[in-house]
Amino acid sequence: MSTLRASVRWVRADLRARRGQALLTVLAVAGIVTALITSATLLEDGTNPWRGLFIESKGAHVWLHTRDAPDVAALSRLQGVVRVAGPYRAAPVMLTMDGRRSPVALRGMQARLPAVAVPLVRQGRWLRSGDADGVVVERSFAEALDLRVGGPFTVTALNGAVHPLIVVGLADTADQGFYPESTPGLAWTLTSTLAGVEPALGRSESVTGLRLADGEDTLPVVHGAVTMLGGQIQRMSTWREVRASMELDNRLLGLLLALFGGAGLVAAALAIANAAGGRVLSQTRDIATLKSLGYTRGQIFGLLMAEHGALGLLGIVIGLVCGQFAASFALEGMPILPLSPVPLLAITAGTAAVVLVAVALPAWRGGRTAPIPSAPAAPLTGHLSRLARLALLVRLPPALVLGTRDAFTRRVPAFLSIFGLAVPMMMITIGLGCWATLDDFLRHPEQVGQAAALTVRSDKLPAEDVARAARADPGVAAVYPGSEVSALEPEQTRSVLVRALGTSAEPYPFSVVEGRMFADRGEAVAGQGLLDLMGVRIGDRVRMTVGGTPLIVHIVGRVVEPEQDGEVLSLGMDSLAAKDAVPPQFYSLVLKRGVDPATVRARLLAASGEALEVQRVVNPAERLSVIRGVIVALIVVLSLLGLANLLTASALGLRDHALDLAVLKAMGLTPRQVAATLVTGTGLLVVLGVVAGTAAGASLVGGLIDLEGHSSGVGAGIGRTPSFLTLTLAVLAAIGAALLVALIPARKAARARVPVTAR
Amino acid sequence: MSLPPVVNTVNLVKIYQNGGVPVPAVRGIDLRVEAGQFVAITGPSGSGKSTLVHMLGGLDARTSGEIWLDGKRADTLSESAWALLRRQKIGFVFQFFNLVANMTVADNVELPALLAGASAREARERREHLLGELGLTDRADASPAQLAGGEQQRVALARALANKPSLLLADEPTGNLDSRNTRDVLRLLGEVHREGQSIILVTHDARVASLADRVVSLLDGEIVDDGVIGTGRRRPRGTAGDVVELRG
Repeated sequence: MSTLRASVRWVRADLRARRGQALLTVLAVAGIVTALITSATLLEDGTNPWRGLFIESKGAHVWLHTRDAPDVAALSRLQGVVRVAGPYRAAPVMLTMDGRRSPVALRGMQARLPAVAVPLVRQGRWLRSGDADGVVVERSFAEALDLRVGGPFTVTALNGAVHPLIVVGLADTADQGFYPESTPGLAWTLTSTLAGVEPALGRSESVTGLRLADGEDTLPVVHGAVTMLGGQIQRMSTWREVRASMELDNRLLGLLLALFGGAGLVAAALAIANAAGGRVLSQTRDIATLKSLGYTRGQIFGLLMAEHGALGLLGIVIGLVCGQFAASFALEGMPILPLSPVPLLAITAGTAAVVLVAVALPAWRGGRTAPIPSAPAAPLTGHLSRLARLALLVRLPPALVLGTRDAFTRRVPAFLSIFGLAVPMMMITIGLGCWATLDDFLRHPEQVGQAAALTVRSDKLPAEDVARAARADPGVAAVYPGSEVSALEPEQTRSVLVRALGTSAEPYPFSVVEGRMFADRGEAVAGQGLLDLMGVRIGDRVRMTVGGTPLIVHIVGRVVEPEQDGEVLSLGMDSLAAKDAVPPQFYSLVLKRGVDPATVRARLLAASGEALEVQRVVNPAERLSVIRGVIVALIVVLSLLGLANLLTASALGLRDHALDLAVLKAMGLTPRQVAATLVTGTGLLVVLGVVAGTAAGASLVGGLIDLEGHSSGVGAGIGRTPSFLTLTLAVLAAIGAALLVALIPARKAARARVPVTAR
Repeated sequence: MSLPPVVNTVNLVKIYQNGGVPVPAVRGIDLRVEAGQFVAITGPSGSGKSTLVHMLGGLDARTSGEIWLDGKRADTLSESAWALLRRQKIGFVFQFFNLVANMTVADNVELPALLAGASAREARERREHLLGELGLTDRADASPAQLAGGEQQRVALARALANKPSLLLADEPTGNLDSRNTRDVLRLLGEVHREGQSIILVTHDARVASLADRVVSLLDGEIVDDGVIGTGRRRPRGTAGDVVELRG
């Protein structure tokens, strides 16, 4: 402990002497931790806002839908049940908006918010006792239908009576999933209002929520409730189903961040090891002096670990804070909960371990420094490297030859520098590849299975009129009739979506990436998710049932399928039984090139007098646009890492060749040539690192994205490598910036008075 | 009762391995330095004089033989034990000063005291005293790079003396200085010697060596000459020599 004061002095002095480098280390680590935290938060919460909603609303784990109100007292006595929400009376009504009719479950509530399964009012207010026509609408439903606070909410009861209600608030809930994955939409009114809208008790149901002490006890509670209520139960849902339905398809973002964070951590470890190693190497004399003053080997090790490790740990702390902010920023508007302690601890401890291991090796080497300060710390090999000999052979200018020789005088640090630059560059290239893939999604939606930009349907006009109206529009290139039915897969344990679109003779332009398009009755193409789910391959026959009718199809190809986790079977209308196919449920419109879907939509609505229901197809890339921000942020962090490595390489090069400078000048090199020598030494490493990293990244990116596509069910075939131009620009920018950074100290050194002594 | 010698070596040998070929640097040196003595070790390049003082300070391990410091066996100590010993008993001055570049003059001088466990205040007081003695008070906040060579060596000397070591080892302290600075540094060495400091000084400069009480000449790792020069004028006060004389 007696060395503490002395060590603090040393560390303070050293950090003061290299503020920039220290700051870079801190920022780089902070950036990586931010990425990791954000990624973990996204993978945990972003993909599923359920957790946040459930905790905030003190949600019920089990929801029972019964004909009449159940015995609450008996339910609350069930083992594991903490509280009971409701029973609430709920009536099915139809909401009519812009000619579109959407089913709504209208639930009767009190003016006072319940203790559990609380609707979380986000806009407007909760119901008040005087609100005879007030209604609070579930937020995702409101957003899908563009409902606003103060706007009308006109519902038609089953008896046909129309009731004009007014939206007084929008609320989040964990009672059911988001609209339209979960239908009908949910809205709350006062029980008195509900009684006015639907006076007949027989046409409504009773909804009761059970909040459990432990969500893992759901199954026994469900069994208990079923035994108790028996045939009264019409429907039942558990928190697991709600959670599953809230799961968004942007796991990609989390995985991307995890990939970047993980690789970034490797890059950060390299940068830290390089920085610490370079620093130790350039401080050999000072460390030897410390030892001659009475520092032991272990104390030097501890000193260096403390100094370099502290920078990393500071970065981790900053990263933890930034990670929380970044996560809430990335998921703006979604209820975010802080990351649960296990991944948080894992990230913190993991990063800390990586940092400490990265620092330990240089620190150990520092500790082993011989205590004789006059011992030379010059590079061991002085002979010309092969590259330098090659440079001589092709008669390069002397500055370049000498720089080439300098680049590899210290083999291990040179390769570490190259590697340390290659890893960030590889990740930057992968980031650019993700960017290019997103661009591709947006620019060529037909390549991701979204050739049609609009779908039209109508429950007012006959199907032929809908098709005619759509074909009449000048912006429409092709119209495909379509129907979607639910089919039970062979084991009948779950259903998959069967989408009939176009006919076998005139199929919808699916994006077939393997096999071929269906061309006959009984042939179908499938998404990766479906193939994985059913364990079939292209060429296999599958048997399913659609509403009792068997459907046997021959899978002839795989398509890129961005919907339903890829668990979709696509075939021609003629492959479906007539009862399912006629008339078509909707028409998919492929627009002419360069035509704005919004214009066509407005035109179609106007032409049909609002009788048509026209929907825009949502491009998956639009949901993923936040990735672009993430990519930019990551490129910044990775550039910082590269810069840290570069500064180390440059400082080490300068140190190793400080003595040579006098010789070079004596040989007659001008200051400019001396500077060129130094820049070449560093620049060569930069060029090698950047080019190797870019090449590795470019060759990996397509495969990585396809791998992600495969695991998410979309399927391989979406990955794009950044364009050659982008790559060239990235490489040139990286090398240019690096040379510029290397030039400043080199010029300074070249112009400085050459030291005669070792320092 | 006589004080034990500050340094006593018995048949000290150092053999370097140079690519598998043994190169003897020091071959069997018996050297006894009494407390308060100022010994100059001279010899041509490669005669083993630097190796000898490095071994005496534990910077280099001996191949065989014994080293006794203040009557205690030191050659068997571990590296860490040597480091602790250096903190308390040995001060080093090197040819290239070896001040820690990033630290100010004041921090450089305070470092050994802090290392030995002194409080910040004690270290500061000691540093102020030493820099005052060496005429460097106004350079306390300068960085070593801002100092001239002579000044740097004076700072290095202050640092070596910070813990009142029983032995000061100086390896070519004037080797990198001009004659004026050499004179200054030697005058300072003489002063601390007069205050009772035991010094072993390595030099190849006969004029520098002539300042010492005793000159030991090395050639090819062996002592070829060991003579006490001069008396009276440079005889330190209150040293072990005085005690012996009184008793005798």
